[in-house]
Amino acid sequence: MLPFPVAFKLGSPVYEQLLYAVEKAVISGLIQPGDKFPSVRTLSQELRINPNTAHKVVAVLVGQGLLEVNPGIGTVVGKQPKATSKQRSELLGDDVEHLVVEAKKLQLELEDLTDAVESHWNNLTQPPCPPSSKYKA
Amino acid sequence: MEQPNPTPMSPIIEIQSLTRRFGRQEAVRDLTFEVPKGSIYAFLGPNGAGKTTTIKMLLNILQASSGSARILGIDSKDLGPRELAQIGYVSENQQLPEWMSVQQLINYCKPMYPTWDDAFCAKLLKDFELPPEKKLKNLSRGMKVKAALITSLAYRPKLLVLDEPFTGLDPLVRDEFIRGMLELSGQSDWTVFVSSHDIDEVDRLADWVGIINEGHLHLSEPTESLQARFRLLMFTAGEGTTQLPQNLPENWLIPEMSGHSVRLVDSQFQEEQTLNNLRRFFPNAGEPAVTVMSLRDIFLALARSFRFKTDAS
Repeated sequence: MLPFPVAFKLGSPVYEQLLYAVEKAVISGLIQPGDKFPSVRTLSQELRINPNTAHKVVAVLVGQGLLEVNPGIGTVVGKQPKATSKQRSELLGDDVEHLVVEAKKLQLELEDLTDAVESHWNNLTQPPCPPSSKYKA
Repeated sequence: MEQPNPTPMSPIIEIQSLTRRFGRQEAVRDLTFEVPKGSIYAFLGPNGAGKTTTIKMLLNILQASSGSARILGIDSKDLGPRELAQIGYVSENQQLPEWMSVQQLINYCKPMYPTWDDAFCAKLLKDFELPPEKKLKNLSRGMKVKAALITSLAYRPKLLVLDEPFTGLDPLVRDEFIRGMLELSGQSDWTVFVSSHDIDEVDRLADWVGIINEGHLHLSEPTESLQARFRLLMFTAGEGTTQLPQNLPENWLIPEMSGHSVRLVDSQFQEEQTLNNLRRFFPNAGEPAVTVMSLRDIFLALARSFRFKTDAS
């Protein structure tokens, strides 16, 4: 069993969906720094996905610092890296602007948007599971 | 981190102008493509497209009328026991010695394969919940396929060839089959070539696809590039456009217009060029909704466009 949920939807590439699922699991505390992360083969077998895809996702997450490779132990969840100033300005500038444009297009109120943001924020801040559900290899 | 599967570079299967005639019928016509080492290659096409004929020529079960196939670097006509001991093969119509028990089948196969892995075989037997003492003739279809897969996986083949392996399997057995197949991904050198008429069966597994129809290969490329170049476009045609313009670009598949809205599949999507083309043919078009397509939708769009062309010619 994998320590985090992945619900694949048709359409968008498996690679992006898995990447997002792991990022979300780390951010929401479902898997925590130091937890063992499943191997490429386990990911591939459990999700019935191409091992090359699983490998690519792990490599990207290691590159981001979200996962760390510990010789002898395998891949573990890393400490969440601080955002770079480029990442900050991308998110707070372009991505938020995009969201505002979409919201205005649908004639939503600012309050609708801040409420929705707050609710998602809170959902992801509280670890949904007690730490006892840590992944054991 | 584990060792990655070797980057798909060197081909493990190379097919060159392969053709097979049965009487006047051309079952496979001038087929040329390669299967990169380390890939899971899905060979897709409707029933009767020529998939099994191709696979049989690959494995030297059937002679080509012309052209050639190389497998593991060897001409398929020269395949001998040494190469076959590195290839696993499971087909829809697998012939098994029905009078044997599962264990007898395993004992019978084992001596032919120097790389046979007893521990792996035992693990598969357990995972697949196959009763070793049971005679093959008393097994369900799903159980028989699993028995065939065990005897094709236990020697850790470098190449696994599967011909419509999922036909008639219930979802649970199919799932076990895929899991078993993925056991191989733990080894350094492995490739899977799997034929199917149903894209859904291999959707998240394949990283390469080949599409064959009426003996003719329509494409062979990584799923990633396929998904990158296909987009579904939907937009309102705008003032003055009441029917589809003539001479739309070739790469716009199955264009349709219904009321004011137009729908088409761009098989060569590039944001700037696609939008320029759109403005050229639909000067007053609204902002298009551009959607990424699943492999299934791409496959269906292609299949419908083949029919379009066949009907037109």
